[in-house]
Amino acid sequence: MTKKEGTFDKDLVRELAALLEETGLTEIEIELEGKRVRVARGVNLTTTLTTDGGHPETRDNTRAATNTRPAARPEEFIVHPGTVTSPMVGTAYRSPEPGSPPFVEIGARVTAGQTLVIIEAMKTMNQIPSPRAGTVIAILVEDGQPVEYGEPLAVIEQR
Amino acid sequence: MFDKILIANRGEIALRVERACKELGVATVAVHSTADADAMHVRLADESVCIGAPPAKDSYLNIPAIVAACEITGADAVHPGYGFLAENARFAEILEEHAITFIGPSAEHLRLMGNKIQAKETACSLGIPVVPGSGPVGDFEEAKTLANDIGYPVLVKAAAGGGGRGMKLALFENELEPALATARNEARAAFGDGTVYLEKYLAHPRHIEVQVLADGQGNAIHLGERDCSLQRRHQKLWEEAPSPALNASERVRIGETVAEAMRAISYRGVGTVEFLYEGGEFYFIEMNTRLQVEHTITEMITGLDLVIEQIRIAAGAPLSLRQEDVRFDGHAIECRINAENPHTFRPSPGTITHFHPPGGLGVRVDSGAYAGYTIPPYYDSLIGKLIVHARTRNECLMRLKRALGEFVVDGIETTIPLFNSLISEPDIVDGNYDIHWLENRLAKLGARG
Repeated sequence: MTKKEGTFDKDLVRELAALLEETGLTEIEIELEGKRVRVARGVNLTTTLTTDGGHPETRDNTRAATNTRPAARPEEFIVHPGTVTSPMVGTAYRSPEPGSPPFVEIGARVTAGQTLVIIEAMKTMNQIPSPRAGTVIAILVEDGQPVEYGEPLAVIEQR
Repeated sequence: MFDKILIANRGEIALRVERACKELGVATVAVHSTADADAMHVRLADESVCIGAPPAKDSYLNIPAIVAACEITGADAVHPGYGFLAENARFAEILEEHAITFIGPSAEHLRLMGNKIQAKETACSLGIPVVPGSGPVGDFEEAKTLANDIGYPVLVKAAAGGGGRGMKLALFENELEPALATARNEARAAFGDGTVYLEKYLAHPRHIEVQVLADGQGNAIHLGERDCSLQRRHQKLWEEAPSPALNASERVRIGETVAEAMRAISYRGVGTVEFLYEGGEFYFIEMNTRLQVEHTITEMITGLDLVIEQIRIAAGAPLSLRQEDVRFDGHAIECRINAENPHTFRPSPGTITHFHPPGGLGVRVDSGAYAGYTIPPYYDSLIGKLIVHARTRNECLMRLKRALGEFVVDGIETTIPLFNSLISEPDIVDGNYDIHWLENRLAKLGARG
C-alpha cells in the first residue's frame, strides 16, 4: 500500500481488509498502476498477541515459541507498507559475523537490495535484502532469534 | 526416547501424532502454512512454526523449511504422518544427514516400495502372491498355453501401455485370438510397440490389506487385515476390520506370509501390504511404507497404539510384543468424513458453524475440526474420521448408525449423509461388496436422479 508522498488509499485498504475477513485468506497483495498494496492478517504473530486482537481463537499463549519473542510489538507493523517479512524459517542474525556491527540500525537509510539481516537455515546463510530504498524505522528481530515464515523482520519507510 | 518430535503434517493426523507424543511424554512441534495458523494441531502442540505459504509445495512439502524448523526448535525426530513427505526417501536421507530421526522405514525401503515394478518383483521374490502374468507373448499357440496356466479370464496388455489402451479382455479361450490381435494392433498404433503380455483378470475383487509392525532388527508381526473395498475413484471411504470375507485360517496364512517377508528385508516401522482378494486368493497391489488413514480400526481391534509403537521403534526399541500376544477383539468400522457434497463429491470448503461429534462407548472421532473452523481450500477434504468398535459386526453396524445420527457438522457439506444411506443397504449389512460396489451403487442413484 505504497502511495505518493506519504498518503495512501485508506478505502482500498479497508476494502481489502474486509475481503480478508470474508474469504478467510491471510494475505492479499494487489498491484495497480505501479502501486502495490499488501494487506495481511497477523497470522504469524499469534504467539505474541496478548492484546485485544480480533481473532479469539488465535490468542494462544501456550506455545513455547512465545518465550523466544522480542518485547517489541510487531503486530503494529503487520499492515505497514514497509514491513519486510521473513521468506523462510530459520535463525535471524543482525550482523555478518559475531561481534561485527549490525547490517542496519534504526534510522539508517538503506538502498533497495541492501542486506537487512541474514537468516540461517540448513547451515546456509540467506541475505534478506531491503525491497526498496528508504529509512529503517523498526527492527523487529534480535540477533540469533528464530523466525517463522512470514514473520516481520524490519520496517522500511519509503521516501 | 526422543525429547521433541516435529510433526510434518496437518489436520487430523497431526493431532493423532501429537496425542501419541503426549502420552509418551515427548514435546511436540507443529508446523503449519499461513492458511493453517488457526488449526487445531497448531493450537494443541507445545510449539509451532509457520513454514510457508498455503500451497503444499511451499509449506508441507518444503523440505528446507521443515529442516530449519527442526533446527530452531531443537526437535530430534520428525513424524511425517501420511501423504506429503511420508514416503519421500530423499527427505528421510536429508533428515539423517542432519542427525534428525525420520520416524519411518529406511530410505532404501521407501525407495524400493515406491517403485511399482521393483515393489512387485520384490514381493514376488519374498513369496508374497502377485497377480499371475506372463512375459512378452509370441504367437497364438504360446498365448493359449500361457492363458491356460494363468486361468481365464485373462487380460491382454501392451508392454508399453497405460491408460487402458492396448488392453483387451478374453473371458474364454475362443476370445483369446481376437483379443491378442486387437491388443497388438492398438499397442502398435498407440505406442509404436506391438509387444503384449497376459495377466489374470480379476472381475470382482475386494481390497484387503495387511498391517505389519516391524522393528528393523529382524522382528516383524502382522496385526490382521482391513477391508477397504468401499472406494470411489480409488479413494477409500469406509474401512472395516476384520474383513467380512476372511476366516481365521486365511488371516493367519496371509498375515504370516507378509510378516515373514518383512523379517526377510528387516523392515522398520509400520507398513501395509495391499492386496486384491478374489476366489480365496490374494494378489499383491503395492506396499505403503507409512501409517495409513485407516490405521485406527486396527488399533480398535488390537488395543495397540500404532503411533506409539512407531515412535518407540524409531527410537531403537525392539518390538514390544510377539505374534502370539496379538489378540483380535471385536469389529471396527471407520467412515471418512470429507468436506464434500455427498452426491457429487464436489469439495465443500467453508466455515463450520456447529460441530458436535458423537460419543459413547466404542465411538472414536479423530478430527481437527471445531465450530468456527474454516476449512482451507488448499488441502484434501478429509475433516475427520468416525471410528466405531463393538464386540460383533452387527453390534458395530448398529453403533455406527447411532453415531452417524449424532454427528452434527453444519456450515459445510459432508459425506455423513452418504454413510447414513449406506448403513441400511442389504449388501453392506451382509458385508457383500467388492471394489466396484460403491461406484455401481452411486451410478444407479445418479441415474435415478
